[in-house]
Order: sequence, then structure tokens, then C-alpha cells
Amino acid sequence: MKCKQIKEKFADYLIGEIDEVTQKEIQEHVTACSSCREELESLSAIWIKLGVLPEEQPSDNVRARFYATLEEYKQNMQEEKEKPRLGTLMDGWFERWIPRRPAFQFSLALILVVVGLTAGYFLHAGVQGGGEIAQLRQEVRQIRQITAVSLLRQESLREQLRNVGLSSQVELPDEETLADFLRRVDSDITTDSRLAALDALFPQSPAIRRQLSLSLSEQTSPLVEIALAFSQHVAKF
Amino acid sequence: MNKTSDNNLMVQVRDGNVEKLAVLFERYHVMLYNFFLRLTGNRGISEDLVQDVFVRVLKYRASYQGQDKFTIWLYRIARNAHIDFLRKRKDEVSLGEQWDEAHSLESSPPEKVEQAQEIARLNLALAKLPLKKREVIILSRFQNLKYKEIAELKGCHIGTVKALIHRSIKDLGKAYFELSGGMAS
Repeated sequence: MKCKQIKEKFADYLIGEIDEVTQKEIQEHVTACSSCREELESLSAIWIKLGVLPEEQPSDNVRARFYATLEEYKQNMQEEKEKPRLGTLMDGWFERWIPRRPAFQFSLALILVVVGLTAGYFLHAGVQGGGEIAQLRQEVRQIRQITAVSLLRQESLREQLRNVGLSSQVELPDEETLADFLRRVDSDITTDSRLAALDALFPQSPAIRRQLSLSLSEQTSPLVEIALAFSQHVAKF
Repeated sequence: MNKTSDNNLMVQVRDGNVEKLAVLFERYHVMLYNFFLRLTGNRGISEDLVQDVFVRVLKYRASYQGQDKFTIWLYRIARNAHIDFLRKRKDEVSLGEQWDEAHSLESSPPEKVEQAQEIARLNLALAKLPLKKREVIILSRFQNLKYKEIAELKGCHIGTVKALIHRSIKDLGKAYFELSGGMAS
């Protein structure tokens, strides 16, 4: 081996993590090479010297502190174990209230279902009969009527088309709205607007049907004529 | 006691039988104390660090894997405790102030004074090394860790550890030579 390879093994040689063959090679090399011999001697000298450094004993304070810490830790662990958990408390509470016999358990379940259904029924009825809810519904209906009428009066074709959807949501239109819709079916300049007004009037009362049958002679658009005829036909059923 | 029983004890500590840590403390607290003492050169700080290590063992006991060698795991905690200590202190503790004890032995027999001076010189030479080199010498020379164990502890290759030990011994020799006034003994 060359000097560089030999020197790389010096640490192994000093520490003792080396096989016998390599150890012999190093010894043979340093016998012949003075440079490597000097370096190994220098390293060995300081390595051996380190052996004089004594192992010291810590003060008793270290032991006392450790055992105090350990004792405190054990106590904390014990307290953690004894601390009642929410889950355990809930389990105990339920155990006290739930009957042990299956027959009683079934009865209890049945009673709870009946109580739940009854409560639900009364709550629902309360909501249905609520004056405020009825008033709100009435207001929403009026808003829809106003919106539908105002949209039918729009000049733009796009706005008129929008009213097709809205007018169909109008429920129980009042007389003024009905008159406006009938006037639209008779005389509106656009076919789409006439159809939308007709859509809003459907399903009609016999009086409106009569008005609409008179309107048939006023129509120029085949589409509106067909729609009127269709509405008359459907209304008979 | 063999190392397997160290691991078994630590597994028991991990699983809640924390009293077993007392056995491990009795086995390793002196070794840890000397590790810290050679790193810091200060007895008080070394005692605090030993305490810190066992507090951490309790704190992180759940993270112990049964297949890890206990001493490697313990040294890993010890190294982290020392690094955290240095971060808190911002700079490395001066080892000289602790090791300068030879002067108090002036009335002792000459051979004892000479031995004390030799020890002080070696400690000062160690203190002159950067932490990385000082630590690797302490681990291999005083804590008797193998290359493989040091590499595992430091998270590096065995070849890197070998090269570092070689350089560290060389630098230690130079530092000792300078402290001896250039007189090789």
C-alpha cells in the first residue's frame, strides 16, 4: 500500500477497529517509511495520553433531582389515569337510564318515536297556521304579480321573454292583473309577449276562457292563434 | 447486563412502567455526565444537562422504537440537549475556566502536580478543537462508540467519521504540542 492509503488506516489502527492483515501491513510500512512512522507515533502518543483523563463522578444532587422528577412524573401519570373522562361519565349516565330488559328497551324506543312524531306534527301545524308566514306568502305573491306585469310592459324583447318564466309563477292574479294580461293577449305588439300573457292566464276560469275565445278573432300571429285554441281545448278537460 | 436488557427496560418505560428508568439512570448517568463534562468543561452545566436528558427521555418515551440500540437513542437525545443549550447560551462555554485547576495543587507532591498539569493541558487541548472534532474524539475515545455507531448518531457515512477522527487526533496533537511549549513529551 502507498503512504496515503496507509495513513487513511491510522485511525482504525489506534481505535482497534482493524483486521490483523491490515494491522500487519501498517506495521511493515511504518518500519520502512520514516514519514509515516513519525505521524503514527505522534497520533499514538496523544491518543494514549488521553487515557490519563479520569472519569469523574457527578455530585449527589444529580441523583436527587432525577428521583424527584421521576416521582413527580409518576404522580402526574396517576392523576391522569384517575381523572374522569367525559366519555366515561356519559356512558355511566346512559347506563342508569336505559332499561336492561329488551322488552323495556323496545317500549322505550317506541315511546320515543311516538313522542318525536307528535312533537313534529304539532310543530309543523304551528308553522302552517302562523299568521306571519301567511302574511309573508301573500306579500311574495303580490311582488310576483307586480314583477310579471311590469315585465310585460317592457319594450325590450329580452325583458319580455324573461316574463314567460315569471308570469307562470303568478298564483291567483287579482282583477287588475287579469285585465292587464287579457289586454296584452289582445293587443301587444309582439307575439312573445302575447304568448307570455296567455301563459300567465292559464289555467283560466270560465269567464277568462270566454274573453280569450273573443280574443282569437283579434290575432294575426298563427302561433298565438294555435296557443289560444290549445288553451281552450285543454281547459275543457 | 447486556444491551438487550437496556432496550427491554426502555420498552417498559415507553409502555408506562416509568419506574424502570431508574435502572437506566443508574447505568448511564455517570457516562452522560462525563460526556457533557468533556464537551462543556463545566461540572454544573454538565449536571443540568444530565437532568435535561432524563427529562427528555420521559417526555419522548413514546417515540422509542424497540429495535433501536438504547445507548444510540440516549446519545441522540444528549446531543440535542447540548445543541439546545448552546443555542440558549449563544456561544460555546469557555472550557478554560473550568479546567484550570492545576494551580490549586501547588502544595501537593510534585508528581501529583505534574499529573494535574498534564490533565489540564489535555483538557485545554481538547477545548481548543472545534465542537465537531472534540465530540468525535470524546465519542470514540471516552464513550467507546464504534465507527458505525458514531456514523448512525451523526447521520453520516462511516468513511466520513474515519476521516474526521483522523483529522481530529492530528489537530489535538498539534494543540497539545503548542500548550506544552513546543516540547513533545
